[in-house]
Amino acid sequence: MSQARNLIDETGKRIDGRGFDELRNVKITVGPVKNADGSAFIEFGKNKILAAVYGPREVHPKHMALPDRCVLRCRYHMSPFSTDTRKNPAPSRREVEISKVMREALEPALMLQDYPRAAIDVYVEVLQSDGGSRCAGITAASVALADAGISMHDLVASCAAGKVDNKIVLDINDEEDKEGQADMPVAYMPRLEQVTLLQLDGRLAPEQFNECLDKAIGGCKMVYEIQKQALMQKYFGNETELKEETQ
Amino acid sequence: MSSSKRSTIIVEHLRKQQMWDALSRGKRLDGRDFSETRQLVIETDIIKKANGSARVKLGDTEVIAGVKVETGEPFEGLENKGALILSAEVLPTASPYIEPGPPDEEVVELARVVDRGVRESEMIDLEKLVLVPGKIVYTIFVDCSILNADGNLFDATSYATVAALLTAKLPIFEMQDQKVVDSGNTQPMPVTSMPVSITAARIGDHVLIDPSAEEEACMDSRITITTTDEGFCATQKGHTGSFMPDQIKKAAEAATIKGKEVRARLKELLVNNG
Amino acid sequence: MHEIKRRYVIPGDKIVEGNFRPLMNVIKSGNALIATRIGIAETGRDGVKVIPLSGVYLPRVNDLVIGKIADHSSLSWEVDINSCFSAHLPAQDVFGRDFSPARDDMTKHFAIGDMITARIVAFDRTRDPMLTVQDRDLGKIPRGELLRISATRVPRLIGKRGSMIQTIEQATQTRVLIGQNGIVVVTGRSPEGVNLAVMAIRMVEDEAHTANLTQRIKGLLNVPDTPPPQERSPLSAGAPKPAEIESTIDEVEEELEVEGEK
Repeated sequence: MSQARNLIDETGKRIDGRGFDELRNVKITVGPVKNADGSAFIEFGKNKILAAVYGPREVHPKHMALPDRCVLRCRYHMSPFSTDTRKNPAPSRREVEISKVMREALEPALMLQDYPRAAIDVYVEVLQSDGGSRCAGITAASVALADAGISMHDLVASCAAGKVDNKIVLDINDEEDKEGQADMPVAYMPRLEQVTLLQLDGRLAPEQFNECLDKAIGGCKMVYEIQKQALMQKYFGNETELKEETQ
Repeated sequence: MSSSKRSTIIVEHLRKQQMWDALSRGKRLDGRDFSETRQLVIETDIIKKANGSARVKLGDTEVIAGVKVETGEPFEGLENKGALILSAEVLPTASPYIEPGPPDEEVVELARVVDRGVRESEMIDLEKLVLVPGKIVYTIFVDCSILNADGNLFDATSYATVAALLTAKLPIFEMQDQKVVDSGNTQPMPVTSMPVSITAARIGDHVLIDPSAEEEACMDSRITITTTDEGFCATQKGHTGSFMPDQIKKAAEAATIKGKEVRARLKELLVNNG
Repeated sequence: MHEIKRRYVIPGDKIVEGNFRPLMNVIKSGNALIATRIGIAETGRDGVKVIPLSGVYLPRVNDLVIGKIADHSSLSWEVDINSCFSAHLPAQDVFGRDFSPARDDMTKHFAIGDMITARIVAFDRTRDPMLTVQDRDLGKIPRGELLRISATRVPRLIGKRGSMIQTIEQATQTRVLIGQNGIVVVTGRSPEGVNLAVMAIRMVEDEAHTANLTQRIKGLLNVPDTPPPQERSPLSAGAPKPAEIESTIDEVEEELEVEGEK
């Protein structure tokens, strides 16, 4: 892959001014969609993504229901105005694949056996895209699932790492994704220490694979803290301790 | 994909009775008067990747419209005009009754009615959007995503569309060696008027402006009337019931008065936008 | 009286370590007890549980629910009970064993859109909830102001031994019918009283996780801060009889001891 320009300058700063181990700004708002059972809005760099959860609810058509567990359905979709050139609103092959890996990234966290014969629908809508929209989408979806009160083993946090100018860096943005050498999106359940999504796009040297994976997991842990904070803030405000009732 | 899913809200009889009782006292369930609209919030330029964008909240109904400008061939028969293409999607996030998939007839109607308002008012001077007459013109896409649906998608989508178009920055394309080149500069959209739709629902003998989802589930019929400063430009009667001529005339009067108020809000955007 | 420790949790949070029994919305992972939902974790002598603050209603046998007639076949009504499962009310439950679909007009009893109070008689992992209206004060709800709250807030709205709901009812001169599934119907003679009761219920819903809520509700309703009278006054038609309320509350009490209200 030929590079038109340097993505890392002499002082070790990336094109958006970040260091190698720095996340972009991440902000999560819990519960913005009134009609949904659970929802979250995430701004992850320039990504603006809405996730909404409906369920557990009845499965239609009925034959899709499973006798012993809940069906999880996911849709990842990009709005036509979310990209540089207008995106056709019909689902692309890329969106179909991301919907699938997203579902498989979330499913290990959910206690689906608690809701036999029901369905949970997760809708992720990218309103403005930047690099790492699937990671941001998974992160938001996981918060929306918790907001919906679905039983979960852990939250799923997601972040990518990648290779830019031969360096392994955290949280690849749009330019780095397009012009860099590799992108590795990872989703992770920090408490259980389990990876639930792993993809790699690009070339890494043998010793760089582990470095990249570890860096992405480190990013997931940072994202996890932001998720937890957003949920605590929504449900308990600034109180962290439950004060006992005084009689 | 066909599905046995119930696609409409069944309003409880208790709730209907409450609504009728309230209406007979001249009030609506959410406390509004018949001609009162819900709170309207308009934000613009929220999607940096679009040439223009707006988020509109009308009560709990929430719509984002994004404008994307490209070049392409003109429509047949309209060789000397730019092309305007408007689409709408009610996202599955918007309500428990929506399923993902291609737009159903109600959403197609929604997009067409909003489109008609913009087109018939000649809001955008499309003749100014021609690069090579008969061959290459500007193509303006307006895509509307409904994020949360709580009734009156028509007006919320109409306001989002107009707000996004008003504040859009039109990239200036040039022809160099028979190729289209983006000059890197922008100019305001060639706007000539401001269409604003006002929708009313009839429940029994009562005509209510800006119906909520619950009111729409109880309504007999619906009417959308679009006005500009000059007068009327588009109308659509919807739903299974009918209207008496006097009710329509009242709705038209309300559309004129309320439309002016909304237009004043939209004009503010233009001032703030420079 | 043993001591109960409480704290706010979200899924994945470690509540405590040690030899405790996981009760509700808690899993054991090694020696740690982990929350699986957002809510208030309670660690007591008998185990650890999380009282959830969000989530849809999951049916339980014997729950008193308020449902909406959504559809009917020739043999049963389908009832929307605000859950992931539609409930069924067999026509025989209403017409008796000699019910005949050809002769009996089901819509005369319950039409689509009608609200009913019912009890869940059967439900498990393999089948949808089955309802009955054959008990005193069950059946169609003729009037009232309808509101929906999260089912997770129902125990808080009832309060210990019904203290919260009694406070609201007495201060506003209303009757409040509460389904375990989060559907609430308020009736009263004056619209002002009903409006005030609805405001109070909304406040309970919004602030269910906070302490001293009863005091604040009393403030809203202008009630002097004295213990509510012991007897729940007679109920209007359509409301469950006192014995039922009590049984519901007992269950709730086991579930909810968020506060040491009197």
